[in-house]
Amino acid sequence: MSAALDYSRQEMMAIATGREIRDGELAIFGVGLSMLAGFFAHANHAPNLRSMTEGGVYGATPVGGLPWGIECNRLAVNATSFTSALDALGFLVASGRCDVGVIGAAQVDKFGNVNTTGVWDGDIGPRYRPPKTRMPGAGGANDIACGAKRFIVMATHELKRFAEKVTYISSPGYLDGGDARERQGFIGGGPSAIITTLGILRPEPETNEFVLDGWFAFSSVEEIKANTGWDLRVAPHAGKIPEPTAIELANLRKVDETGALRKK
Amino acid sequence: MPNKLISLAEAVRRFSWDGMQYASGAALPVGSDAIVFGRELLRQKRRNLHGVFHCCGQQLNLLAAAGVVAKAECGFAALEVVGFANGLRRAVESGRLALEDYSNLAMTLRLLGGALNWPFVPATVNIGSDLQARSAFSPDEYPARSKIPAVTDPFSGKTIGAFSPLKPDVAAIHVTLADANGNAILLGTEWSRTELSRAAKKVVLIADAIVDPACIRQFPNLVRIPDIIVEAVVYWPFAAWPHASPGMYDMDEEHMFFMNKILASEQGTAEYIRDFVENFSDIESYLDMIGRDKIKALSASTSSFLLDPYRRWILPPEDVASLTLSTELAA
Repeated sequence: MSAALDYSRQEMMAIATGREIRDGELAIFGVGLSMLAGFFAHANHAPNLRSMTEGGVYGATPVGGLPWGIECNRLAVNATSFTSALDALGFLVASGRCDVGVIGAAQVDKFGNVNTTGVWDGDIGPRYRPPKTRMPGAGGANDIACGAKRFIVMATHELKRFAEKVTYISSPGYLDGGDARERQGFIGGGPSAIITTLGILRPEPETNEFVLDGWFAFSSVEEIKANTGWDLRVAPHAGKIPEPTAIELANLRKVDETGALRKK
Repeated sequence: MPNKLISLAEAVRRFSWDGMQYASGAALPVGSDAIVFGRELLRQKRRNLHGVFHCCGQQLNLLAAAGVVAKAECGFAALEVVGFANGLRRAVESGRLALEDYSNLAMTLRLLGGALNWPFVPATVNIGSDLQARSAFSPDEYPARSKIPAVTDPFSGKTIGAFSPLKPDVAAIHVTLADANGNAILLGTEWSRTELSRAAKKVVLIADAIVDPACIRQFPNLVRIPDIIVEAVVYWPFAAWPHASPGMYDMDEEHMFFMNKILASEQGTAEYIRDFVENFSDIESYLDMIGRDKIKALSASTSSFLLDPYRRWILPPEDVASLTLSTELAA
């Protein structure tokens, strides 16, 4: 961390994710970190961002802290439209209209496939069996992963979470890599980045394998490789990612009123 | 249209049975859900339920923890920022409850398919992932063939999937406002309550407040559930507690975490049922159970202004009670 600015890894991850979102885009955020990253972008550099939640809450920004959920009153207080899941996830996302989505991952693999369904001891095997630890499931992330023009995956960078192959694909990235996703015929383009607590990974053209694109000021290539479960290659142009500016941090903390990202 | 107001206990007696396919709220995990209907299901010892819950809120969490759900279908099986759903987790991880996974849009589309009486719904999401390849209901099929089978788009020749339609036996749907006939106004997102209300074979509304029919005629554009598809209306304030009801009350943060924590064990679940399921006999004692100070605090929601246009039509509890009594006496 720099001496001048004190910030957490989670804050850096949220800011790096927000930087991926461009002004004017039609965007969908889930609850938690991805919502903070999205609303940070709105507050910081994308005042014309057209954002929605998968429940069909439009025009709202969080008031009084991080919303507990999509229908939390912290979002209901300044919405311009309440519609429905069919409207938001269907008409605007699965249809292919949405520019960018942000989803979280408990486990992600080298082709950007995401598992949010469960932790199994080893492979599931030919017969489906319940996970050792049951997680939330796909939610709207699968719909975003199939339909949005591009999506960003946010994940805590730990060895157990960055796998050669996820145990269960809840939300598809590039499937088996190469043109596998294209052959499946999804309308959406696939994951454009995996933003982690240590750096940024992006898909390599042709193979669609994720490679290291940059590291944060407080991390290093070695630390990232040590926490990645596949033989992570480093893109030729990879480098250190700019630290948050004072303005970025101030804008993030305006959104993250209750300091959810500052907690350990 | 006749007055359809009945008591909660009567609604559960009439509209639930063991082994039924039961849908609720079509709710978001902290939002509208007819949670009090689930409490009454437990009080009347219903079991072996097949749950259709667009998302797992505290109702499915509680019913699963209590061991009365054998199968469930969900798009999202946790409590958003509040955490994993411990009661549901315990039931799934032990193998006691088979949880079939879909996405949130898939659940909506399956309800839409049921509502339209379509044979199937084209699936352009969920395909290509383990939502299609793995089935908890048919665990021996791998890749699963009966869950989201591959079909050919007759126009493009492309391979897509087919979602099976959902037609739950009964849906208990939480709404903010209803008149006694069953016309409902929903504040906040509908999520998939519109589709659910048309897909279910029978619909019971659980309303936070009952309004005069003049309110419905003032805002007909906002009535998403019309009386002609509704069997019964239950008046129950704080019906979604500890979830939020936009315009009415905020999420009860303290109870959300407490409830999820205590449902993580069998003993805790028994204590929860003793203290928060068996421990009320009517609306007044239910509100006492939540705590009058808590009721006051949760009602002081920053979203309260959303209710302002409707306030003048809200019927006082004693009027609702006499309307409810008159239908029960007539029956």
